Amino acid sequence: MDTGIKDYAARSREIIREEPGVRESVTGATIAFDEKRRQGYAEVDADTWRRWAEGVKNHTLTHLDRYLAEAEEQLQANGAQVHWAADAAEAREIVTGLAVRHGVRSVVKGKSMVTEEIDLNPVLEAAGIEVFETDLGEYILQLLEEPPSHILGPALHKSLEQVQELFAERLDTARDGDPDTLARAAREVLRDAFIHADMGITGANFLVAETGTVALIENEGNIRLTTSLPRVHVAVVGIEKLLPRMTDLAGFLQLTARAATGQPIGCFVSLIQGPAADPGDDGPEEVHVVLVDNGRTDVLAHEHAWEALRCVRCGACLNACPVYRQTGGHAYGYVYSGPIGSVLDPGLLGLHEAMPLPFASSLCGACQDACPVRIPIPELLLEWRREAQEEGLTPWRERAALAGLASVATRPGLYRLAGKIGSRLGATGAARVLPMLGEWSKDRALPKPSPRTFRDLWREGIE
Amino acid sequence: MSVESRERILARVAEATASRAGLPHPGALETPLTDDPEAAFVKRFTSSGGEVVEADRVRGRSVWLTRLLRGLDPEVVGVAVGPEVPPEFRPRLPEVAAAHAGAGISVAWAAVAESGSLILPSTGTRAVQLLPPVHVVWVPRGRVYGRLEDALRELRRNLSAGVGLHSGPSKSADIGRTVVTGVHGPGRCMAVLGSHASAGTSET
Ligand code: SF4
Repeated sequence: MDTGIKDYAARSREIIREEPGVRESVTGATIAFDEKRRQGYAEVDADTWRRWAEGVKNHTLTHLDRYLAEAEEQLQANGAQVHWAADAAEAREIVTGLAVRHGVRSVVKGKSMVTEEIDLNPVLEAAGIEVFETDLGEYILQLLEEPPSHILGPALHKSLEQVQELFAERLDTARDGDPDTLARAAREVLRDAFIHADMGITGANFLVAETGTVALIENEGNIRLTTSLPRVHVAVVGIEKLLPRMTDLAGFLQLTARAATGQPIGCFVSLIQGPAADPGDDGPEEVHVVLVDNGRTDVLAHEHAWEALRCVRCGACLNACPVYRQTGGHAYGYVYSGPIGSVLDPGLLGLHEAMPLPFASSLCGACQDACPVRIPIPELLLEWRREAQEEGLTPWRERAALAGLASVATRPGLYRLAGKIGSRLGATGAARVLPMLGEWSKDRALPKPSPRTFRDLWREGIE
Repeated sequence: MSVESRERILARVAEATASRAGLPHPGALETPLTDDPEAAFVKRFTSSGGEVVEADRVRGRSVWLTRLLRGLDPEVVGVAVGPEVPPEFRPRLPEVAAAHAGAGISVAWAAVAESGSLILPSTGTRAVQLLPPVHVVWVPRGRVYGRLEDALRELRRNLSAGVGLHSGPSKSADIGRTVVTGVHGPGRCMAVLGSHASAGTSET
């Protein structure tokens, strides 16, 4: 697997130095998202909801074979076709094969991390198929030929001015066009694409075993169009996306939206059971669900990392992360960035491939507090660090950091303690204990030693 | 090949799940009940940017809806109407293809207070629900659920191929973090609460 992960430190430095606007855009957007998430949680009994969601996912993941079989059976009973892909290559082959078999000339896509993960677009394009990313943020990035930088707001590292410039060049809008005008120009292009597309490709937020339901959450309506207008719909779904029952969806739809944007629910939810069946229904003639492993069974087999498979890809941990805020997702070099990327990528790709991501964190714990399914991200980071050390994968600086943390690793209150060490040592000392910090301390003035804990400082962002 | 991959993936999953104790399902998430689902729906739906029109005391709904659509800005000239909409709830305006209509008219299977959602089955036409800039949805009286879980429990028995939950207008903040509406789906979503029977629902 070809990723840019190993260049994490260099890329971080480069982004901070060469593209200061990124840091500004990402920090602004994530702080706003994080605040909305807090409000969204405050309106409900979020602790109970999160414990419940953790419980449902744990139950599902410890009975995953049963639920996968049930989902397959239900989908087939609904008239959908189910495919299994062991790895990215096989997933690409299946989707491209379907497109070719159906004589597809153009494809509309809903935002989907898994199709980024399997790098689907280039093979479709190589087969002569025109591909339209239809999420507004994804569309911007497609024009720029950039990968997404954030799970939820793929283009949140772009400023209004950058989009104005891009659209002026490509869509002939005014240089000072307001967001409304720009969105309308994109809508026009994409509306045409929706009407003419032969195939719609999406991911899935959830797959309900009981009913064989592919559930998708969004705000723009592009996913509903993608799953409704073209004659073939292909949903590419990671095998960890299962939920046992339809009623479980109620909690997950609401909790995921609150964690992601603070909304009570996404503006649009699509519940796809299979191809159109009713006489008035203009939905697709064929629905295909591609179940993708691509490293997930490795994660499931891992003694600790399996908990990361609870992830519902809400982006809350990215929004809460002071380290992510400095650079956005591109520095991480892989589709899953930020805190969840740092614990998931080593499991999906192998630890060696994912180095030094487990070190790209200050262990402040903000991610875990935000996570709707309570993934113990800091603990998993430490676990990967320990394994990296065991395997001799850590450079000296990381090893020094590990030595500093090893003594506290077994005690409770670890993160706060690690934070206190940081505040005692001051910025330079902290940079040694928390190595990635050193990368931006080269470019930025760091705060003076503070009586507050390091965790508090990180919480506020290093300003 | 897919068949081999299926066996391999399921075997690996089975092996992994066998290696740790199965954890129990925590049961239902008991979210709070509401005394007045309809009022709660109105509050939630409007706070997400949806619009609610009460048509309880309206006689001659067809004429009433026609007037409402004509009064919108921009004025609705042609409409797209789902096959599930009974004749007395169809506006007296020319029917055109959804892609060219000023408004789409549908009937919801139900509404949900907790999430402020309209549940739209694909027994209707999806293009009507998605393509026009304005979406007008008849919500039969007595069909507002308090909790989403209760709605989905019922929906399970009435599942059509592609169900949509619409909880406000189409939105995006992808450009300069400014919220714009009507990006792909309808920019206005109007729920009409009225005591009428809809396809498959008895009068209450
Ligand atoms: S790890 Fe938790 S907070 Fe982060 S994206 Fe996944 S579910 Fe959301």
